[in-house]
Amino acid sequence: MNRALKRLSIAVLVMFVLLLVNINYLQGFETSSLADDPGNQRAVDAQYQYQRGEIVTADGTVIARSKASPKGDSIPWQRYYPVPDVYAPVTGYDTLYSQTGIEAAENSTLNGNSSSLDVHNFIDLITGKKQQGATVTVTVNSAAQEAAYSGLKNVLQGTGRIGGVVALDPSTGAILAMASYPSYDPNLLAVQDGNTLNTNDKKLQAQTGNPLRNHAINDTFPPGSTFKIVTSSAYFNANPGNSEQTPVYSPSTLKLPQTTLQLINNDNEVCGNGSGQVPLITAFAQSCDTTFGKIGLDVGGSALNTAAQAYGFNNQNLNIPMPVSASQYSIAPQGSPLVAYSAIGQYSDTATPLQEAMLSAAVANGGRLMTPYLVKSVTASDLSTIATTQPTMLGQAVPANAATSIGKMMEAVVQESDGTGYDFNQSVEGVNIAGKTGTAQNGVSNGKTSDAVFTCFAPYGNPKIAVGVIIQGGGYGATAAAPIAVQVIKAYLKTLGIG
Amino acid sequence: MLLFAVGIVAFAFLNVGYGLNNKLPFSMVEYLIVFGVLLAGAHVAMRRFAPYADPLLLPLAALLNGLGIVMMYRLQESGRNGNTGNLILPTSAAATQILYSAIGIGCFIGLLVLVKEPRVLQRYTYTLGAVGVILIALPAMLPASISEPPNAYGAKIQIALGSFSIQPEEFAKLALAASFAGYLVAKRDVLALAGRRVLGIDLPRARDLGPILVAWGASLLLLVFESDIGTSAVFMGLFVAMLYVATSRTSWLLIGFVMFVAGAFVASKLFGHIGERFCIWLHPFDNINSLSCPSYQLVQGLYGMGNGGLLGKGLGGGSPSITPLVQSDFIFTAFGEELGLAGLMALLLIYGLIVQRGLRTAIAVKDPYSKLLAGGLSFMLALQVFVIVGGVSRLIPLTGITTPFLSQGGSSLVASWILIGLLARLSDTARRPPPRPIQDEGLTQVVMLT
Repeated sequence: MNRALKRLSIAVLVMFVLLLVNINYLQGFETSSLADDPGNQRAVDAQYQYQRGEIVTADGTVIARSKASPKGDSIPWQRYYPVPDVYAPVTGYDTLYSQTGIEAAENSTLNGNSSSLDVHNFIDLITGKKQQGATVTVTVNSAAQEAAYSGLKNVLQGTGRIGGVVALDPSTGAILAMASYPSYDPNLLAVQDGNTLNTNDKKLQAQTGNPLRNHAINDTFPPGSTFKIVTSSAYFNANPGNSEQTPVYSPSTLKLPQTTLQLINNDNEVCGNGSGQVPLITAFAQSCDTTFGKIGLDVGGSALNTAAQAYGFNNQNLNIPMPVSASQYSIAPQGSPLVAYSAIGQYSDTATPLQEAMLSAAVANGGRLMTPYLVKSVTASDLSTIATTQPTMLGQAVPANAATSIGKMMEAVVQESDGTGYDFNQSVEGVNIAGKTGTAQNGVSNGKTSDAVFTCFAPYGNPKIAVGVIIQGGGYGATAAAPIAVQVIKAYLKTLGIG
Repeated sequence: MLLFAVGIVAFAFLNVGYGLNNKLPFSMVEYLIVFGVLLAGAHVAMRRFAPYADPLLLPLAALLNGLGIVMMYRLQESGRNGNTGNLILPTSAAATQILYSAIGIGCFIGLLVLVKEPRVLQRYTYTLGAVGVILIALPAMLPASISEPPNAYGAKIQIALGSFSIQPEEFAKLALAASFAGYLVAKRDVLALAGRRVLGIDLPRARDLGPILVAWGASLLLLVFESDIGTSAVFMGLFVAMLYVATSRTSWLLIGFVMFVAGAFVASKLFGHIGERFCIWLHPFDNINSLSCPSYQLVQGLYGMGNGGLLGKGLGGGSPSITPLVQSDFIFTAFGEELGLAGLMALLLIYGLIVQRGLRTAIAVKDPYSKLLAGGLSFMLALQVFVIVGGVSRLIPLTGITTPFLSQGGSSLVASWILIGLLARLSDTARRPPPRPIQDEGLTQVVMLT
């Protein structure tokens, strides 16, 4: 019997070893895969067990923070957005299941799990402090952001149309404002109850204008005449010796190849003095479609494409750190009339408000296009800086001398009495703005009201800010979009003590 | 040793208090005093009535029981007094568990007092067998109003009288183990030697096999009828192991294995319940709320253990209340979450030590009945731990049985204490020194006959 008992003991030993091996595997090796399982309520709860880091604007306005819940709440920290609609495109939201915006892009820094915070977390662990998320400071200037949002709201409230504004610091690429309309209240989604979350989410999804979408970087619109900045670049690339004063062919009607259609200027206007030859700067200021259609036909689709891509068109990999939808330029068949249309921002050209701002920013910065970025720095809970974003150059959009010429041309748009932006400029005092208007036809057979587009930088002599504005169905760029850009510029320059 | 066990329990209690409310649990002192007094009583009884009993058994059992009470207190505080978690237990849960501990320790003492010799039990071989079968059959026979209280979750294994309910099968296990030991001791030679040899395997005679097959089949059928697969697996293992020990014949293991596989196959065809367990075991993460394969509970338990990691969240620091039935079947995952891998390994080693002491006793004791009983009881405890811990940690398909000493519920706790009492009595017999030679008669040689 003892032999059998000994064998039985070995069987028992094997059973216990199996159990031990299994729990070692489970708790030693599988913990992270279990924690990442989407159904894991504990992992979800763990997000709220410590204070998530704040999101702060460059000038110190708190735009997202964690409030302590009443004691006994299973979720000790509640995410709170003090200025919800204005900053929603920047902050995004932090729900039980997902995040967007900076909340998503900087999730691991905000929740404190980022590897860059390991040392801090370890010190917190041994000193007995609770793990705390890091603060993310964004580049946004609160004055510019509020001006941008209120401008959009004034124009778009109750219309069901959408719009977006982006302001950049031309010399660094820092995003000074990023407003989207209609916007939403992220507090509605930062709820702890899954059912409330679903109800609110469905409600927001069903609203016209898709408020959850960031129209400033994730929606593209036809750029209209603002694309003439790109066409001008292509012109200077093809004719390096020429300047803004070089006379260019500018008929009242442009015969297009392969078709009986003719390209005419807006309202059938005459370009310049009607001689058919005007300086480039005049054609640009008056936004002569015939001139730029002709330039497009001359340089060709692929040259336009090269120029557009240098400004950031067709870039699928731009992250600010949220992914930016690519603005599109498609090469029309060589010799086709569509090349002319694509040169004036029609055909299948599209651009985000951010892209519009990037056009002016590159021109303002001597042709050097800086990579747009939103995160200025990350600060640990003990106020030590973890990371600071260093501005990087995305590329040379256009040679420096050409950029100077285009800058002069953009100034003429606003400052010359025959420029398309001259009228609204009468209301702007003290600031010298250079810009380009766009009134983009859209819809089937241009059936809808045109989108209003405006891109600009200021002050002309010493550029501090570049702004891109797109108002869907806003009509003329100079009347609907430009005043918002002016508001943003004034608000921002005021904080700098200029203007 | 016992003080050490109480010390660990007290420390664990402190941990819960600070982990939850950052203050001492005010009821802790009362609980500890009661628990300490109970154990002191058990200790004195053991010194008095079983002085040679294995000294490790009582502290080990006390440690498990104490940790079970601590966890019950922690779970009862979940969702209460400003603590996080779901409300899953009444405020009396820990106190009730102590009451059951008292009954269990009382039975432990009573057993030591009443049963002076394990062989006494041998006399009641058939009585105990009948009692065991009746105990198992009872819930199935009784009307559902009594046998299926609202919290029984489909299994028909309880007898409820008012607010008081017992699970007779916990006691039936012990009775049947004792009964089988008696029967096998009487018949072991016949079982081992008589019979024909077929294909190199010794088959026993049908008439010797008869009673065992009847008892085994009856208990098995009843268990399947009562939808309690876990316990039936434990029974099966127990019988096969005891048969093997009694006869030292590998053929029994083979027969047992074949019968088990056949039984499981037939059962899985007949009862959707069992196929579902396999589905949950194999694909837990596919759809935790599916109707045909509802793995929610198992997966929550796994998440809990994963959440605990190596060192655990600390008592009071986890969210065990998310897992359904964490206070009974899934209590092991609660320990896993709050004490981590380290705590679970410690718990398994405590179980392992008890089993090892029991098997050691079985080898040391001379009388074959005691040998079989000690071996059977130890193996049953090991098997029970294997089935439930393996189940909740997804080593084997999950079948809901109690975790000895830890789970909420009186029957299991009392039965576990009786099991420890039996092992203590058996080890006392095994380790008792032979009668001392009478010194005066220097020339007389005492011949020991055992």
